[in-house]
Amino acid sequence: MSFLGGAECSTAGNPLSQFAKHVQNDNSLQHDRLVGRGPNGALGGFRSAGRSTPQDEMMNGFLHQTPNMPEMPLEHQGPMGHAHVHVDPHHAVHLRAKSTSPTWAGDFQNPQAAMEAAFNVPPGTQFSADEFSKFQQMNGSASSSHASPMTGGGMMSQAQRPMMAGGGMMGMGMGIGGMSYGMMQRPMYQPMSTMYGPQLSQQQQQQQQPQHHDQALEGKGKGKVVELDDTKWEEQFAQMELHNQPDEALAMEPELNKMDEELLHSETGYGDLESIWRGLQNEQEAMKDMDVEEDFAKFDSSNFGGDNLGDWGMHGRIGADPPIQDYLFEDENMFQDQPNPFEEGVRIMSEGGNLSLAALAFEAAVQKNPDHVEAWVYLGSAQAQNEKEEAAIRALEHAMKLDPNNLAAQMGLAVSYTNEGYDSTAYRTLERWLSVKYPHIIAPQDLSSAAELGFTDRAQLHERVTNLFLDAARLAPDGDHMDPDVQVGLGVLFYGAEDYDKAVDCFQAALHSSELGASNERSQIHLLWNRLGATLANSGRSEEAIAAYEKALAIHPNFVRARYNLGVSCINIGCHAEAAGHLLSALDMHKSVEKSGREKAREILGGGDNLTDARLEAMTTQNRSTTLYDTLRRVFTQMGRRDLAEKVVVGVDPDIFRGEFDF
Amino acid sequence: MSLKNDKFPASAAFDAISQALATDADKKDAIKQGNAVFAFTLKNTAGETESWHIDLKNKGEVGKGLGEKPTVSLTLSDADFGNLVTGKANAQRLFMSGKLKIKGDVMKATKLDPILKKAQTKAKL
Repeated sequence: MSFLGGAECSTAGNPLSQFAKHVQNDNSLQHDRLVGRGPNGALGGFRSAGRSTPQDEMMNGFLHQTPNMPEMPLEHQGPMGHAHVHVDPHHAVHLRAKSTSPTWAGDFQNPQAAMEAAFNVPPGTQFSADEFSKFQQMNGSASSSHASPMTGGGMMSQAQRPMMAGGGMMGMGMGIGGMSYGMMQRPMYQPMSTMYGPQLSQQQQQQQQPQHHDQALEGKGKGKVVELDDTKWEEQFAQMELHNQPDEALAMEPELNKMDEELLHSETGYGDLESIWRGLQNEQEAMKDMDVEEDFAKFDSSNFGGDNLGDWGMHGRIGADPPIQDYLFEDENMFQDQPNPFEEGVRIMSEGGNLSLAALAFEAAVQKNPDHVEAWVYLGSAQAQNEKEEAAIRALEHAMKLDPNNLAAQMGLAVSYTNEGYDSTAYRTLERWLSVKYPHIIAPQDLSSAAELGFTDRAQLHERVTNLFLDAARLAPDGDHMDPDVQVGLGVLFYGAEDYDKAVDCFQAALHSSELGASNERSQIHLLWNRLGATLANSGRSEEAIAAYEKALAIHPNFVRARYNLGVSCINIGCHAEAAGHLLSALDMHKSVEKSGREKAREILGGGDNLTDARLEAMTTQNRSTTLYDTLRRVFTQMGRRDLAEKVVVGVDPDIFRGEFDF
Repeated sequence: MSLKNDKFPASAAFDAISQALATDADKKDAIKQGNAVFAFTLKNTAGETESWHIDLKNKGEVGKGLGEKPTVSLTLSDADFGNLVTGKANAQRLFMSGKLKIKGDVMKATKLDPILKKAQTKAKL
């Protein structure tokens, strides 16, 4: 069935081959599966040739052309892999058998004719800029006509994979004249296969790739495709859900929902207890040897925010969302007297300085000006990088309270929530992010509600948000121009569902994109490397993860989180001593600021006898990272060193371990 | 007094969780977060079952047995529970694949995630 000889595999500049691929994309599949309705939907697939007579003629016409085909690829490049060809019979049959869309023929024919008219180009012509733009217009109108059926969940990316593989093998099918269709292939393909886009564009330059590509596609597509009829997917999906769900849980759900409502009502009183409790906690800590008046002043102001539960759509404490809490400021802050602590903080971060120091600067900035949204965002970001997730969440939530549409805060929160296990909240936050940046994909009023979600609902929410993001990704004209922020969002979504391979693709796409977004600007790239590393690590690819972390640390040696992650990966490959070293050095980065902070505090407070270490300790330790201490303890236990493990308490000075470990 | 039952190797995790709830502050935080009593019934390869509960509603403690009035009960194999606490499996997946059965207030089951995350050593995004 290799009408095109080797041309099918070629993606590098051979218009006909690309056309072929394009045409071979079994679009009826996309018709069937709601998601797939992309520009490809317009052209139909090989299958349609079998069913529709006008296509038959074209097909025959095309087939007659095939003798010419082999020459083209040779002109353009060397060896084409044929390897993918064999893949497709399975898929071809598979796809054909499952096509049920009644409308594909209609969809196919109209744009078909129009496209043909537009693309009367003799074979072998290089496409020109106009053709491409004409194509794009066509593309645009075709995709908009399919836009509505396209919305809604579905396994688009998965559907595409078998499709592409199937496409590779099937013959010219459409027989649609015009080599320039091949060009359409490239730009259309990439938006569709979002995360695979960058892979493709790389492949276009490499000849060996097509084989891998198709095989890779096939591999990923297999076993994951769920057949959903486009019009009835929702019902089908719901049925599938029911099918999967344990019956008891299902039966109980309506009762449980009722119970939940009752619980909700009874919990509202709890809110007051919370703020009282928090107040008590603050008071207790602050009371330890500190001046009473100062304390009460701080106590009042820090509890001020306790009553307005940041109503940006999240009824935080009642659902499975994290309880919204106020940020806990360090009591002594050497930046308090600085004229412009915000700028100092920004400078420290851009120079890759100590993150605890930067955090202190931003704390001073927001204490001076509590409405400074950017400072709150920077504070959150600094604390997250400093491996102080809770502090980061509090700061970013505060930023959201001030500016509910702040994109940086939303993305940062989504990541933090994912790390902490508040998956549903993370998904809702991502949805919100999308509604701000791409309101035409989802309007702010259509956001999911903040209700408590069980596992099934959470899966549905995840599905929904993922598809919205895929829609956004499809807007990119090609692989190089993807919105890196959308890719990061997608990456986080896939990571949350433990779809690590896809997540890796997304983060890589973000790294390679030439479009400038918030995620890949120079000062943020180290974060991307870390995200990539964490995804690799959690999917078992420890060595690659370590390489990614090293890249992040090369850019920002003080990136505490990356160092923590490096430690975790060392544990995973069994290098416990090294892991301990990394964790200790991370703790050291925290301590060094505490120590210099203490020196400063001594100066400020005039030194003297009443300045005990304990008191100083209380001054510089509001947000301790329990993660680092817990993990260190675990490493020592795993090494069999209970003696060391016992020494690890929150706040311990890493120096005491210097004898045993290098850091 | 260990909570671990040697016939259920993964139950060592209950001791670890108990340690994480050592101080009053930890207990209060966990109660605020969980606000439920989570009962676990593990089944080992021999077919025996044993229960533990994590009380994050009243006392902030881990104990043997189902506890009084568990808000939500989770039933799974000892092996799966082991994977769950180390982070190799996630509750969502176990549930969707039927390996984890939930009775009671199913909505509260998702609250386990943040609590379990604290016990896991995973890389951070």
